[in-house]
Amino acid sequence: MKKSLVLLVVLTVLGGILAGCASQGKQSVLDKITKDGKVMVGTSADYPPYEYVDDAGNKTGFDIDLMTEIAKRMGVELVWVDMPFDSLVAAVQEGKIDMSISCFNYSAERDEQVDFSDAYYTSEDAFLVKSGFAGAIVNPEDVAKYKIGVQSGTVQDDWLTTTLVEAGLVEDANISRYERVDQAALDLNAGRIEVLMADYVPAQALVKQYPDFQVVYHAVLSTGPLNIVLPDGDAKLQAEINKVIKALQDEGFIDTLATKYFSE
Amino acid sequence: MAEWLGLFQRFLKDFILGAGTTLELTAVGLLMGFLLGLGLALAKTFGPKWLRAIATGYIELFRGTPLLVQLFLIYYGLPSLGITLSQTLSAYLALGLNSAAYQAEYLRGAIQAIGNSQMMAGRSIGLSRWQTIQHVILPQALRLALPSWSNEPISLLKTTAIVFLIAVQDLMAKAKRAATITYNPIGSYLAVAVVYLVLVFALDALLKWAERKTKIPGFEINTKRV
Amino acid sequence: MNFSSFIQYIASGTAYTLGVTLVALPSGLVLGVLFALLYVYGGRVVSRLMSLYSTVMRGIPPIVLLFILYFVMSGSVNLSPFWAGSISLGIISSAYQMEIVRGAILAVSGEQMLAARAIGMSTLEAIRYVILPQTLRLAIPPWSNEAAIVIKDSSLVYALGVPEILRRAQLISASTQQPFLAYISAAVIYFALVFIANRLLARLERRLTIPSNP
Repeated sequence: MKKSLVLLVVLTVLGGILAGCASQGKQSVLDKITKDGKVMVGTSADYPPYEYVDDAGNKTGFDIDLMTEIAKRMGVELVWVDMPFDSLVAAVQEGKIDMSISCFNYSAERDEQVDFSDAYYTSEDAFLVKSGFAGAIVNPEDVAKYKIGVQSGTVQDDWLTTTLVEAGLVEDANISRYERVDQAALDLNAGRIEVLMADYVPAQALVKQYPDFQVVYHAVLSTGPLNIVLPDGDAKLQAEINKVIKALQDEGFIDTLATKYFSE
Repeated sequence: MAEWLGLFQRFLKDFILGAGTTLELTAVGLLMGFLLGLGLALAKTFGPKWLRAIATGYIELFRGTPLLVQLFLIYYGLPSLGITLSQTLSAYLALGLNSAAYQAEYLRGAIQAIGNSQMMAGRSIGLSRWQTIQHVILPQALRLALPSWSNEPISLLKTTAIVFLIAVQDLMAKAKRAATITYNPIGSYLAVAVVYLVLVFALDALLKWAERKTKIPGFEINTKRV
Repeated sequence: MNFSSFIQYIASGTAYTLGVTLVALPSGLVLGVLFALLYVYGGRVVSRLMSLYSTVMRGIPPIVLLFILYFVMSGSVNLSPFWAGSISLGIISSAYQMEIVRGAILAVSGEQMLAARAIGMSTLEAIRYVILPQTLRLAIPPWSNEAAIVIKDSSLVYALGVPEILRRAQLISASTQQPFLAYISAAVIYFALVFIANRLLARLERRLTIPSNP
């Protein structure tokens, strides 16, 4: 009797742990945020100037400042959760974090899993090379001839996969996918990859950090408007965030931030 | 469940490719680790004092730090000293150097168990030190070491799963990719977990078979899992 | 930036590394002892289940399990990456610790269990007063080995974004472009941690050895 009781407890605990991936109550995350007085926001702090860690170890950047202001207007405390970029969407979807700001672009596949706020900024893609790069990139498809690096799970990764790999222009093995963009930059510098594809603004930041780097091409390929990633189907939260973004745009706050972080 | 099977099917080709890379990494790491590990074990048992110290230092250093740190040091660190190795080569090197430290300890145990009395016997019938090692000690020691050593291939197969962090396209990297495409991380990682299990079981069966084939009757030492 | 300031910056991640280890190791021990007891004394069905648990958990790479458990947990409870990662590592370690404890139980048990039952103890009493006290002491040497493994495996939570030693090293290597120095510093800190842990456990082992029972 005792034995089976112990077994029952163990199995219940294990079952609870292993099967817990199921749904949560359908209550607006906004209510939870106001009730707790804090909002948990995920980011991947490796993408200067949008989000990065400064020399003192603090998170900073365009997205970081923007989100700080949004939280302030919502009257709640902001708690940052730093995680790998390609875990962020799943983390929002599964309620691990309340939302995520990390230079996200809209994509149809992402939209099936989560919702997006209105755009707060518009970005471009860029190809970075190191000085001494002998090739030429006139059309974006030209990068297929080189060893390419990209951050795993980004829209740029998506673009490379659909436009180049699936079209048969390049072997998948020719593309190196990195956990973080700064690791990709280290590899461009070391010469393991020839072209690094990234968002234009962070690419410019990398050029400042590595004087040998240069942007040889930039245009809207995979990117476009930047949005905050929100839990799926949470209209109440979406409306609130959109309201704050609208207000910040109207007041010129976002333009000021862009000047602070993006201008030379 | 049906959805999960669909995911499995959709990425099956990818997983097989990744499993191939994983097995390659395991095989190369194991071989490098064995050669270097055998050298370390012999150095530690029969070498002069300074060589013993070097071997001990090597083993302690590599067993005392995480493989992930060693991997990053080789991959991201070495280029700043002017040594740039490819992704695959860096992975091979990290796995081989790390495995050597563990294999050295398995082999040393067996060599010591055969050890001194046979060395004296070999020397007394006129063999040189090196001849004794080669013809008397190693043939016995390697067979004796097999049961405990056979933990290493499986353990190594599992540790290869971290090389996706330096963009090597192994099985784990394929899982990560499936996760980003489908936004179903749990299903993707479960799928490769199954593939890893199959690989581990197959390898285990192979090793058990080899153990039976090479057993020295009457000579067994306790196996220890590391 | 010189070497000592590198060490200083990265060492601030040590608190997380130690934290992860100090959560994972004890939780793995509690589960491991429980599972080992169920394995040995649990009857056929339970025994089979435990054996399956052990085989499956030890057959999958820790990093794969870490990702699975992490995402499963984040879906059901709201935990920070630190807690989710630490507990996941604890569950992973439980399978290995279970085998260690099981080995020790089998080394002690048998006759001792019979003897204890013969003098009128119940099975549970025999486990509590006769088997476990000896088992746990016998298990210390292999367990020290597992402790070192958990310290080293704590570096895996790097992939979840916990700001532990390796993550700090990665951050500073990106901002200073001195990756070699950064990762060498991380290696030095890990080595010191493992070294100190080994020494402490060796001392514990000496103090608790069962006399004349190697």
